[in-house]
Amino acid sequence: MAIEHAYKKLKEISLEEFILPGTSTCGGCGGLEALRLAHKVLGKNVVFVNAAGCFTLLALFPFSPFKGSWLYTTMASAPAGAQGIRDALDLLIARGALSIEEDLQVIVLAGDGASYDIGLASTSGAIYRNLDFWYFCYDNEAYGNTGVQMSSATPYAARTTTTPAAVLTPEGTELPKKDLFEIWRAHCPPYLATVSPRHPLDLARKFEKAKAFKGPKLFIAYSPCPTGWHYDPGQTPEIARLAVETGLWALKEAVHGEVAHTYIPKKLKSVEEYLQAQGRFAHLFHPVRQEAALRKIREAITQYWAPYLRTMQNAK
Amino acid sequence: MGPQREEMLTGNMAAAWGARLARAEYVPAYPITPQTEIVETLAQWFADGTMQGKFVTMDSEHSMLTAAGAAAATGVRVFTATSSQGLLYAFEVLYTVAGWRVPLVLVNVSRALASPITLEPDHNDVLAARDAGFLQIHCETCQEVLDSILMAYKIAEDPRVLLPVIVNLDGYYLSFTREPVAIPSAEEAAAFLPPYEPHHAFFKASRPLAQGIAVLGGFIYSYFRYQEQLAARNALAVHDEVAAEFARRFGRSYGPVEAYRLEDAEYALVMSNAFATKGKAAVDLFRQRGERVGLLRLRLLRPFPHEAVQAALRGKRAVAVLDQNLSVGQGGITYQEVAAALYHEPSRPLLLSCIGGLGGKEISAGEFEEVLELMKEAAATGQVPGPQLLYTEGEQTQMAHLLDIAGKEWG
Amino acid sequence: MIRVRFHGRGGHGMKTASRILGTAAFLEGFRVQDSPLYGAERRGAPITAFTRINDHPILERGIITIPDLVLVADETLLEDPLANPFLGLHAGSLLFINSPTSTQAMAEAVAARHPTPARILTGDLTALTLEKIGKAQALSATVGAAACKLAGVIGMGALEKATRKELEELGLPSPLIDRNLEAALLAFEQTPRVPLASAPPQPAPLQGLVVPVYQPPARGTPSVAAPGNIILRKTGGWRIFRPVIEYDKCNQCWICFVRCPEGAISLDEKEDPHIDYDHCKGCLICVEECPTKAVVKEREVHAW
Repeated sequence: MAIEHAYKKLKEISLEEFILPGTSTCGGCGGLEALRLAHKVLGKNVVFVNAAGCFTLLALFPFSPFKGSWLYTTMASAPAGAQGIRDALDLLIARGALSIEEDLQVIVLAGDGASYDIGLASTSGAIYRNLDFWYFCYDNEAYGNTGVQMSSATPYAARTTTTPAAVLTPEGTELPKKDLFEIWRAHCPPYLATVSPRHPLDLARKFEKAKAFKGPKLFIAYSPCPTGWHYDPGQTPEIARLAVETGLWALKEAVHGEVAHTYIPKKLKSVEEYLQAQGRFAHLFHPVRQEAALRKIREAITQYWAPYLRTMQNAK
Repeated sequence: MGPQREEMLTGNMAAAWGARLARAEYVPAYPITPQTEIVETLAQWFADGTMQGKFVTMDSEHSMLTAAGAAAATGVRVFTATSSQGLLYAFEVLYTVAGWRVPLVLVNVSRALASPITLEPDHNDVLAARDAGFLQIHCETCQEVLDSILMAYKIAEDPRVLLPVIVNLDGYYLSFTREPVAIPSAEEAAAFLPPYEPHHAFFKASRPLAQGIAVLGGFIYSYFRYQEQLAARNALAVHDEVAAEFARRFGRSYGPVEAYRLEDAEYALVMSNAFATKGKAAVDLFRQRGERVGLLRLRLLRPFPHEAVQAALRGKRAVAVLDQNLSVGQGGITYQEVAAALYHEPSRPLLLSCIGGLGGKEISAGEFEEVLELMKEAAATGQVPGPQLLYTEGEQTQMAHLLDIAGKEWG
Repeated sequence: MIRVRFHGRGGHGMKTASRILGTAAFLEGFRVQDSPLYGAERRGAPITAFTRINDHPILERGIITIPDLVLVADETLLEDPLANPFLGLHAGSLLFINSPTSTQAMAEAVAARHPTPARILTGDLTALTLEKIGKAQALSATVGAAACKLAGVIGMGALEKATRKELEELGLPSPLIDRNLEAALLAFEQTPRVPLASAPPQPAPLQGLVVPVYQPPARGTPSVAAPGNIILRKTGGWRIFRPVIEYDKCNQCWICFVRCPEGAISLDEKEDPHIDYDHCKGCLICVEECPTKAVVKEREVHAW
């Protein structure tokens, strides 16, 4: 399939909206921003298969924001729902009950709780079966819909309502974020990428590129969450920008398992700028600076980027 | 009546034949004993082209039932099967797909629930699902399994119903037991069960539909739940229509309940599933010595056929519900339902509750004798004892021996 | 019984305000219930909270449909059908609106649009909150204090203890709690005493019952066949600040259009952006991101 759009400049982004306004998501929702941009690339012939999460209430009886279709499944089995729909569409088309023009792209919509935790087995199964579907994980690094509890996507040292920064747990969350990208990559899906709403062209290019692949097309969308991360909603793009520029959120893709970074910051910004912008990390700075925790965060970033920065230097 | 050949089939094979004759187009599967033979057979039939469509092994029963429901919500005829722990693992999905109002058929091969984990049947698994919005048909014979699956699709797909159905058979006692089963011809089955063409649930580009959508507000939620209830109650009449047509075409007749030698009976047993056969044998023995005893077999558990139960038990002196299940802390589950059905009868029989056959435990002739004695005593005294846990002396002796071997002497 | 209903938006702290009143009344020795009503809505959307105060056991549960005192944290809620702060007001009840508008002007405006038997009172708690706490939305302490005063049965000591307790439970740092307390006590002093008359016991009018009947499957399933009909649902009322485009500064760069999570900014044929104020939630990403500062923010003040 030829690439229809190169997405070299902002003005190539579609003017058409596929998710209409009026939903009950929080103002400044980074996940919705990412989904809106992705949907512009995917077009209207889609069916979302939703796992319980913040986006469950995008569609709320008697209202739907979508120009396409939707099925709410459960928290743990949206990829299995995608399997049922994909298979059924194929069967109906194969026996002529449905014309090929009626076909739909099947897209799982799941938050990090569903993706990293409760639905991981179901996702693994769908990728293993090489199901022809899209997976859009809006990763706001906590169980946002239930009021911001820790998920295995919550980064080290973030405060959530179940990982409070307290006397015995001064850092808040004590465990590092699970590496879902690598877990998915171990299945060798044809296309896998991370995206950020603050990088709309990178995002659009990745969704456009993925169209060429049959099989699982998986996306983890960095989704700044003003409500859960404690910053003003207007700061969503800035938080997202800092995440990428500090090296905390790597923009990358893996085609049949082969990883490539689609953006490497020329020089990593100090991660403290990112941390200080969000209430969920405030305890790292007040009442005292938690030097050990800050060092741990810095070291994890350095360790992640070391091979790539070295490669770049070698290339020079 | 069309040609029907008879073959020796296990209950599992009869279930597979039911799916095949129903032309189930999509079968998501997951293995669990004692159901596995069903999906193995279907896998083979899809693989060799005997059945058209797709068989897919999923990663759990939870995923399996989700895929089944989603495919049905897209518009294909779906069959799937599970058992015991598998049914419970898929539990939330039962409610979910029933709420989508999709008419798939799920065969459950009953097996008692852990802990302790075991292999033989009782009905705690399927009865746990009784409030989920699935209709339930419980089978006594392998023939009934095949026939009920065909009937189940026709009931489920009726626009007056549009609810999924569980067809239940007992593990081991039916699942692995062969007996002669008449297999309708594919043509006759197709004439009985036309293709599924939904008008309320589909996914297609030209008609976007958001399904299974969230609601907030009790009055909205209640509306849809009431619709499930009304649909399920409609299924009583639809079942009878479908059963009548089935009898016309295939010569076998099924009611929501089966009355066995009940007409002039003073005492009645109430049972379900394969052990009803043992109950019928006990009834025959009682009859031989002149005792007026009959048996009522519950077949359609959801919707519950209150009127049929009332009519069948009217005028009896005492009735014993023999539950092969245990609602811990309460007693027998179907006892409660039968009691509710009889409560407003002007001269209702005394109603006794007995628990037996848990984990496939034998219900021996002696136990049936005891149940009859209990009914007679109750009839004589007007006193009804609490739930009776049936257990024999021999079993108790054996169990004591096992406890000794297990080193439990400190107890 | 005094039945108090709080209307705010997610983030205003109305749940906490209802709890400050609840705890204060509890400390004064009353029987109390307080509860928030959670809906689908998130930060910025209308939320409601309730407090019941009585001198004997309370035989009521859930939402308050006939309130004696209603506090509205943001006057834009007056026009919000999802909030419906006028519900059940009676002649003895008082409607307190947090607004810089005078009581008389507000009463006239309300009379013109939403005739209500209730008395109206305004107070500019936002100004006080901004001054003492520094954050316009942090209204829990000041609205809670106004509620305590208007409830008429709570002293300043109980208010102070209750405010401290509730804010400590939220994990606020102690300097911030002190600022909240200062603001609360000021709000308590500034709010006048207005006698409330408890609603006479008047059971809600009995509605006739219907017998639910089976519907055709398309009407009997929770599905929606009207794609995109969510635009019928307005979220413009969520705004505290309104983004306004100054077109002379706009360079048609598309950034506001691309960044808006809601899709509430569209571009015309000249590539000029237009904000859909029916749906803009006021997140202000466009204000923050505009490279030429062509989008400015203005406080949403007047409901009408």
